[in-house]
Amino acid sequence: MKNSMKILIMVLVLLAIPIVILAQTEEPKEKVITINAQQFSYTPGTVEVNRGDRVTIRLISTDVHHGLYIDGYEVSTDARPGQDGSLTFVANNTGKFVMRCSVTCGPFHPYMIGYLKVKPDYRLFGSIWLAVGIFIGSILLVIRRQKP
Amino acid sequence: MEKKQLMEIIAGILVLLATVGTIGAALLYDEHLWGGLRTIELTAQAPERGNWNIQEIHLVRGEPVRIKIRNIDTVSHGFAIPELGISLNGTGEIKPGNVGVIEFTPDKTGDFLFTCTTWCSTQHMQMTGRIIISEK
Amino acid sequence: MTEKILGLIPVDWRFELTSLPYVRKIIKSRWMPFLPIVLNLSVFTIILMAGFVGGVSAGNYNFGIMFVWIVWWLLLMMVMVPFFSRIWCMICPLPAFGEWLQRLGFMKVRNKLFGLNKKWPKALKNMWLVNFLFLGTTYTTGFLTTRPIATFILLMSIIIGSIVLMAVFEKRNFCKYIGCPVGGFLGLYSNMAVTEIRAKDPQICKDHKHKDCVIGNEKGHACPWMILPFDIGRNTYCGMCLECFKTCPYDNMAINLRPPATDLLVDKNRGLDEAWKAFIMLGIAIFFFLIMQGNMGFLKDWANAKTTEGYLTFVVLHSIFNLLLIPGVFFVFVYASRTLGNKEIPLKKLFTNFSYTLVPMGLIAWIAFSFGILFPNSSYVLHVISDPFAWGWDLFGTAHFPWTPFLTGVMPYFQIGTLLFGLVLSLDIGFKISKQTFQKRDEAVRGFIPIAAFLTAVTIFLIWLFTG
Ligand code: SF4
Ligand SMILES: [Cu+2]
Ligand SMILES: [Cu+2]
Repeated sequence: MKNSMKILIMVLVLLAIPIVILAQTEEPKEKVITINAQQFSYTPGTVEVNRGDRVTIRLISTDVHHGLYIDGYEVSTDARPGQDGSLTFVANNTGKFVMRCSVTCGPFHPYMIGYLKVKPDYRLFGSIWLAVGIFIGSILLVIRRQKP
Repeated sequence: MEKKQLMEIIAGILVLLATVGTIGAALLYDEHLWGGLRTIELTAQAPERGNWNIQEIHLVRGEPVRIKIRNIDTVSHGFAIPELGISLNGTGEIKPGNVGVIEFTPDKTGDFLFTCTTWCSTQHMQMTGRIIISEK
Repeated sequence: MTEKILGLIPVDWRFELTSLPYVRKIIKSRWMPFLPIVLNLSVFTIILMAGFVGGVSAGNYNFGIMFVWIVWWLLLMMVMVPFFSRIWCMICPLPAFGEWLQRLGFMKVRNKLFGLNKKWPKALKNMWLVNFLFLGTTYTTGFLTTRPIATFILLMSIIIGSIVLMAVFEKRNFCKYIGCPVGGFLGLYSNMAVTEIRAKDPQICKDHKHKDCVIGNEKGHACPWMILPFDIGRNTYCGMCLECFKTCPYDNMAINLRPPATDLLVDKNRGLDEAWKAFIMLGIAIFFFLIMQGNMGFLKDWANAKTTEGYLTFVVLHSIFNLLLIPGVFFVFVYASRTLGNKEIPLKKLFTNFSYTLVPMGLIAWIAFSFGILFPNSSYVLHVISDPFAWGWDLFGTAHFPWTPFLTGVMPYFQIGTLLFGLVLSLDIGFKISKQTFQKRDEAVRGFIPIAAFLTAVTIFLIWLFTG
């Protein structure tokens, strides 16, 4: 049991190396992004920025009153036709964050969703490597137990 | 009476209470909440989905009235009678599934326009109606 | 050596909850589960009324929609099924009218049931019908979860359907095989539950020739779910109606606490119907995510039937994905497993057995999916409890509580955590099933590798889909 623990830890450490390599960051920039809101989606559906970027989102609506709330950052704005909304934040947290419509705009309003992706996504790399680690660990475990 | 039969009767009463009783209680509570004052129930929907359910409201000068605006739509609406300076408190918006209430006593006679105050659809401008206030 | 779930809890570890004072007394009373059903019935009366008066208004501000698709669904997936098995079926008010009609009373015991009492055809004693019923129901998810009247129609058809069908077919055939869209997965996923109803001492049952639990007596009905209370085996078809506690003259029934997922290791009555249930459930979790929490507008328009072609495309893709694609991919891995393990083992047996590894995977996927609804959208519930019919009430002073997402920043970690836990659990179950299926240990190890790879791939895909 102790030995298999050791192996598991070693595997995980080995697997962590690529994450560190993958995780180089780019220079922070000033970014202005225009999002079009229309029942029941945003265009573009995914906004990608880098960590540290100062992001300004301009929200334009062409049909009814829509909103935009960003998970995790907890900032929001709203827009009516002819009356744009805007919000600014510094993308310090990495990962995928859901942007949700915050103004009831029709039956599918709760499903009106876009993604903000702040790179590099340590969380995703980390969890994938964990999953792979669990996989390899489990195989090693069952193989080792075979011959006591 | 046998104990079993008694239990059966109690059970039956409970089932009645859970179904008919629940509905009845809801209706009674609603009556109790809104009774008294003359209440006009307006339902708001964007013009392409049915518009205001009543497009002509008749009132009498000097008689207090309550206008209850139920937004049964999927977008926000508002309500105002601009010429009488009447509008909703707060943001002036009624979210879907919400209810706005205005109580007032008309002090002028005439023919006035009431309208939705929120950009609710491309036909929002058609979302209007008339309030006709007459002498007693 | 007995096996241990996750290497921690022995598979046969049990703690009898009904040994606690009062618990058995409560369970044996005829008021149980009648009282919870009646309470629940009044909640459903409000739900139905709200659905009816809500019409096609906004679902997110409707009591019916919120209580069925947020409160009930989340409770079901996150609490009831994993912790209490089919406890929902114990308190479900939907088939209650049908059952009261069969019994011509609410609490009295009547051994000759009213109605035609037809037997259910043998060929249909499986999950296929409910598989299609549930898949069919999900075609309308775009309406069910957004239009109050659609939820009203669904619930009313279940109630009316249950009255009619229960007048024709005996006992709970309605719940078991035909009428209830969710019954199938409640059954399959309840194999994961940490509670179970089982006979305490098999010897007592063996010596008791006149099986009161099967034929009923003056204290309680014959098992309405038509299983053998003395040999339940798996939670799948036990609706937890508690009749067997009442009929058993030896007090030999028990509710036990147990390690999770042990039913998946029961090598009896496994079948392709349940395998497909597992595929369909996993596929639906993915499709629901794309529709409800994805960023593709066109898919939403399809599910919302903006155009007929779009809607039909959705129906066709959704069906192919669930009925063919997922099983197809899984088949490839099972084939690899057989090639590596032992080619003598029938492919069908391998396929069926290994499909049960998708039960933990699927339930966990649903839990992770549910976090994505819980944190952002549960604040709507505060509004609807104060003003259930949108009549301008304010019962609890929360009618004007605005939509307030909470903990959305840490939500992905909850999702990743549960998914990884699900991977560990399904790998654990996977190897145990492998050992059961292949005779020799080294075959089992080799045969396990492709399955483990599949489970890991699914987990990574779900993590990427939900949080990346
Ligand atoms: S199977 Fe369905 S209808 Fe029957 S008790 Fe369970 S949830 Fe209710
Ligand atoms: Cu919107
Ligand atoms: Cu309007």
